[in-house]
Amino acid sequence: MAEIAHYKEMHPLAFRITHWVNLVAMILLILSGIEIHYPVLGGVMGLARGLHIFCGIVLVVNCIARIVLAFVIKSSPMGGTRETVTDFWNWLPQKYNRHQLGAWIKYYLFIKKDHPLSAKLGVPQKLSYLLIGILILFMGYTGFCLWDVTMNVPFFAGFTFAVGGLMKLRIIHYFMMYIFIWFTMIHGYLALIDGMALPRLMFFGKETGGLTYSLETWNIDGYDDLGAAEKIEIVNKEDEQAAATA
Amino acid sequence: MKDSFIESLESRGLTRRAFLAFCGSIAAAIGIEGVTGIDVAEAIEENALIGTNGGRGEGKLAPVVWMELGSCTGCTESFAQADDPDPATLILEYIALNYSETLSAAAGYSLEESREQTIKAFPGKYVLVVEGAVMTRWNGDALRIAGEATCAPGESPLLDVCKNAAAVIAAGSCAVDGGFCAAEPNPGGACGIQKYMADNGVNTPVVNLPTCPCNPATLVAVIVQYLLLGTLPQLNEYNMPEVYYGETIHDNCQRRGHFENGEFVYEFGSEEEAKGYCLYAMGCKGPQTKANCGTIRWNRRVSWCVDAGAPCIGCASGDPRVTQRNWIDFNAPFLNRMKDIHIGSLRVQPTPVALTITGVLAAALIVHGIGMKAAGRTEGAGGPDWEPVREYDKKHGITHGSAAAATSEPAEKAAAEVSEGGEQ
Ligand code: HEM
Ligand code: HEM
Ligand code: SF4
Ligand code: SF4
Repeated sequence: MAEIAHYKEMHPLAFRITHWVNLVAMILLILSGIEIHYPVLGGVMGLARGLHIFCGIVLVVNCIARIVLAFVIKSSPMGGTRETVTDFWNWLPQKYNRHQLGAWIKYYLFIKKDHPLSAKLGVPQKLSYLLIGILILFMGYTGFCLWDVTMNVPFFAGFTFAVGGLMKLRIIHYFMMYIFIWFTMIHGYLALIDGMALPRLMFFGKETGGLTYSLETWNIDGYDDLGAAEKIEIVNKEDEQAAATA
Repeated sequence: MKDSFIESLESRGLTRRAFLAFCGSIAAAIGIEGVTGIDVAEAIEENALIGTNGGRGEGKLAPVVWMELGSCTGCTESFAQADDPDPATLILEYIALNYSETLSAAAGYSLEESREQTIKAFPGKYVLVVEGAVMTRWNGDALRIAGEATCAPGESPLLDVCKNAAAVIAAGSCAVDGGFCAAEPNPGGACGIQKYMADNGVNTPVVNLPTCPCNPATLVAVIVQYLLLGTLPQLNEYNMPEVYYGETIHDNCQRRGHFENGEFVYEFGSEEEAKGYCLYAMGCKGPQTKANCGTIRWNRRVSWCVDAGAPCIGCASGDPRVTQRNWIDFNAPFLNRMKDIHIGSLRVQPTPVALTITGVLAAALIVHGIGMKAAGRTEGAGGPDWEPVREYDKKHGITHGSAAAATSEPAEKAAAEVSEGGEQ
């Protein structure tokens, strides 16, 4: 059948930017982190550490900015509509998908055939994005516990003491990198498996027509082809005129 | 300084100059403003016993009792093994090392008597230096000194000495966290002195001086500071003096430049090793280990681990509170970047565990993707159908909005419109 319409209101520009920052910083962090873990490439440790700590700080700041913006910027609570609400509402359990976690899990396990009616973020997606925010902040925190410049600040040293030392902390920090890798694998997979409309919107702000959604009936209420049919009509008319004049 | 004191030093082969130079370095190590080498020298003289050592004092402040427990005697050796007189050893003797199985001339009953007398004569005043791990197993029979179960839980000769001490100095990693004796499977029930005292309700202040062996200069600096000022150094959360254990080995490492330049030894016996490159890839624990080895150095400043070509194995990084976080269990295998993680009785490096999970996940996603394609949910296959109504709503008979009643199956209606309007 068809996909829901993908409007810009679903992922406004500011959030597309924070997402780009997430993606680029995360790739650089993972590459430099692997180099710091074991210097596979000779000659670049200084660069890797500099880049790693820079990107780490960028990632944390970006994460905080994303959270603050959630209270400022509006986004649509669901694909297929241009109506918007302040973004943070879409991170809380929404009325549109409050009871849908089971449906989503069954859908992904192939027990349920139909695509669950949902909201902007599917329930598993919403949970994982909330979790990733927390993980980014925690990762930054453990990073600062390891960084020689900040490791003796009581706010960080206290945690190092609680987990039992820098070796444990490095293992935690290192292992958490894999948790990010696993998140990104699953996240990238889910983002791409439904087709290119969603990534086109998230990365490039390109809209795609599709089913529309009514916030009143909480359900699909029509189809928006983004004016494609009219365009075709215009083109056809032009063609007719061209044929007539010829 | 009194001539008799200098003479006494010289008679034992230590020149006045060497003595003062050593006192200067102790003053520098203590790192308290206004404390000079002269102050240190005077403090030592004041406390050197009259008569026996030519000093002015009566050893009034702090005789030192040195208890050797489960150990290799390496810390004593590090202190005393020198072909010409080592200032650190001499000074400790001067300050009145009243009891040490290895260093005291006396032995047997007379030595044990000297220990008991010290406790009686200086209750709450003497300093106890502990070398080696506390061996608690078999009701303390794991270690017997002079026919007694030295480290029994509850009540023991060791606890008596601890209770009456002004301060307990754990000299060397075994005394701090159990060290080699406590490494898994720890058959002797070894632990550090701090843990042992905590378990048995003794709260004499502890100063932990890890590294294997204990650095003599650090030990003397702590004792001298106590004699001189009556204070112990500022301690961190691990009861280790902040001045000596505040920065990582890595921060003060002579090979740090090679680290930043990305010049590493990947194999012993290689060209890189000959060039003195950084030992990080050989498992150096310097970045995770806080100690002053690189600045204070060893064997009277001759060398230290990394200078000698060995990666730091993190011998100062154990946790005195938890026995199985002794520095061996915390860092082994020494030549790997990370310690093994323990899954049941399995010992594995974190990387293979993580890569295995990654592989399984990748395979699962591929299988799932094939399933999604087969179920016709992917873009090329047309995408999935939307459920006409939420399962929860259906079960509970809930409808939404005014239009809800009118269009019972809106998704299907929309789908019909789509096929009419044509896919675009
Ligand atoms: C968010 C802020 C972050 C900060 C401030 C930070 C900081 C650090 C620091 C200071 C180190 C130790 C470097 C050294 O001792 O030379 C380190 C190591 C490392 N970091 Fe981060 N990091 C952050 C986030 C991340 C993220 C998001 C990842 C991966 C997704 C990551 C992966 C790693 C890895 C793999 C290591 C090497 C660990 C080891 O082998 O010991 N870091 N990080
Ligand atoms: C493989 C590369 C990636 C792809 C293809 C991708 C794609 C997407 C897409 C399509 C969305 C919209 C999802 C939806 O509406 O349900 C999204 C959202 C999101 N992505 Fe990614 N992403 C990638 C990497 C990452 C990384 C590395 C992170 C951070 C660690 C990240 C964090 C997020 C977050 C937090 C959201 C929530 C949206 C928001 O901030 O408003 N993504 N991603
Ligand atoms: S040898 Fe060890 S302590 Fe020295 S710079 Fe290399 S990693 Fe750091
Ligand atoms: S350099 Fe490392 S292994 Fe060597 S004595 Fe110091 S802390 Fe121990």
